[in-house]
Amino acid sequence: MPRQEYQESLSNLRDDVLYMSEVVAERLRLGLDALEQKDREIAEEVVGGDDEINQMYLDLESECVNLIALQQPVASDLRFIAASFKIITDLERIGDLAVNLAQYAMDADRDVFPEVDVQQIGVETLDMLESAMAAYANDDPEACYAVAERDDDLDAMCEAASSTVVRDLIEHDPFGDDDADAEAYLQDISRLLLTIRDLERIGDHAVNIAARALYMIEDDAELLY
Amino acid sequence: MSQNSTNKQNRNERAERDESADPTADGMDIQTDVSGSVAASAGGSPTRETVVSAKHISVWYGDDQALSDITMDIPERSVTAMVGPSGCGKSTFLRCINRMNDLIDSARVEGDLYLRGKNVYDDDVDPVALRRRVGMVFQKPNPFPKSIYDNVTYGLKIQDKGGDYDEIVEESLKRAALWDEVKDQLGESGLELSGGQQQRLCIARAIAPDPEVLLMDEPASALDPVATSQIEDLIEELAEDYTVVIVTHNMQQAARISDQTAVFLTGGELVEFDDTQKIFENPESQRVEDYITGKFG
Repeated sequence: MPRQEYQESLSNLRDDVLYMSEVVAERLRLGLDALEQKDREIAEEVVGGDDEINQMYLDLESECVNLIALQQPVASDLRFIAASFKIITDLERIGDLAVNLAQYAMDADRDVFPEVDVQQIGVETLDMLESAMAAYANDDPEACYAVAERDDDLDAMCEAASSTVVRDLIEHDPFGDDDADAEAYLQDISRLLLTIRDLERIGDHAVNIAARALYMIEDDAELLY
Repeated sequence: MSQNSTNKQNRNERAERDESADPTADGMDIQTDVSGSVAASAGGSPTRETVVSAKHISVWYGDDQALSDITMDIPERSVTAMVGPSGCGKSTFLRCINRMNDLIDSARVEGDLYLRGKNVYDDDVDPVALRRRVGMVFQKPNPFPKSIYDNVTYGLKIQDKGGDYDEIVEESLKRAALWDEVKDQLGESGLELSGGQQQRLCIARAIAPDPEVLLMDEPASALDPVATSQIEDLIEELAEDYTVVIVTHNMQQAARISDQTAVFLTGGELVEFDDTQKIFENPESQRVEDYITGKFG
């Protein structure tokens, strides 16, 4: 095949984006573990690893720019590079959100609202991320649509979880006479609501990735907002 | 937004205006018989009247078939690019439009080629008169060893065309974006100009008789990047008034300046003809995709 070096660069870009997504997925998994186990060590690993993800993002960004500048990609090659360029931004943001989860884990010292299953929501977002990246890796348009469809369920789960927390806040007077207790309780609740919101956003980024993958595969912008 | 996009956009907007001003100007009426192997007219962009219409054109050089059953409609006042590997027949097709293939003894043309509805291969068509309506610019700048002035008026003199030559020379050189550089040396030889200037002189010579169609066979391939971008800007401007058909090996050039792109592949086959943006972002044909991304061959 002619343009050997160019073809290799394209293939490397795909491998590098997939590698970045594996690292990001692993960080998300660790962030969820940290939350579940209140494990400071795991949480610190996620927080400390963010620089690595940011550097991967910057490296991949210049990989894309170099390909565009030096190789003048067209047609499916161009769509692949344009989609990759956008997908790495979503991956980097998911990395940031995983760091948020780890920080919530470090701040928390007790469980509130055991009936709100953060882990269930977290596993769903992780699976959406992995499915979206599989759609990108395998040029699978059906899988792109499937990820987008799951987002409604995820949003419903997040909304239900938030409602549970807020309703409880309204219906019961959680504040005793002890101001320190009330303060701690409010912080716990804020953290939980932020956790739910961040997980919902991870789902949105997974949908963005699926949308860019669909554009890449079929020149179809349907899932882009 | 780049200059190129602006020019392309202007052409599209003008075509839209023309369309709305004259509800009867429906290009589809002209696009008859598209039974060829590919869609013969580029879709998407505003409808422009067809100027050149090829119907089942095949060309042989001796026993070798150079073009195979080409059917396509070229819209007016736009840039149509012909791309494809060497030997794919794109230049042969260009030379069918002004019957330059007549000059090659072994060449045989079958099919019909209409210029504004008139078959240029009809017996009553004078090829010399045809070439007044269809100007041509070649790969290598080929000014005559005459003064700049005489180069521009050469075609007019052959045609015994009257008029104010001074005015035509100035107008043609201005349109070719050369006037400012040569207005004080019109009596000097065209051969003393730089390569890029010589090519613009050839363009001025081609447009002086006011042709309807301007054929360009790799007009910038012998020029440096600066001269190339001058020629590209010029082509965009010329498309305001002329129908430009350009053969180029430079894919990026086709992408930059053309409104429609026709992709010819080995065997003289027209594989895809569509809006340039469509061809370069998501072509229908896998073979075209492979060719333009460089996986071909």
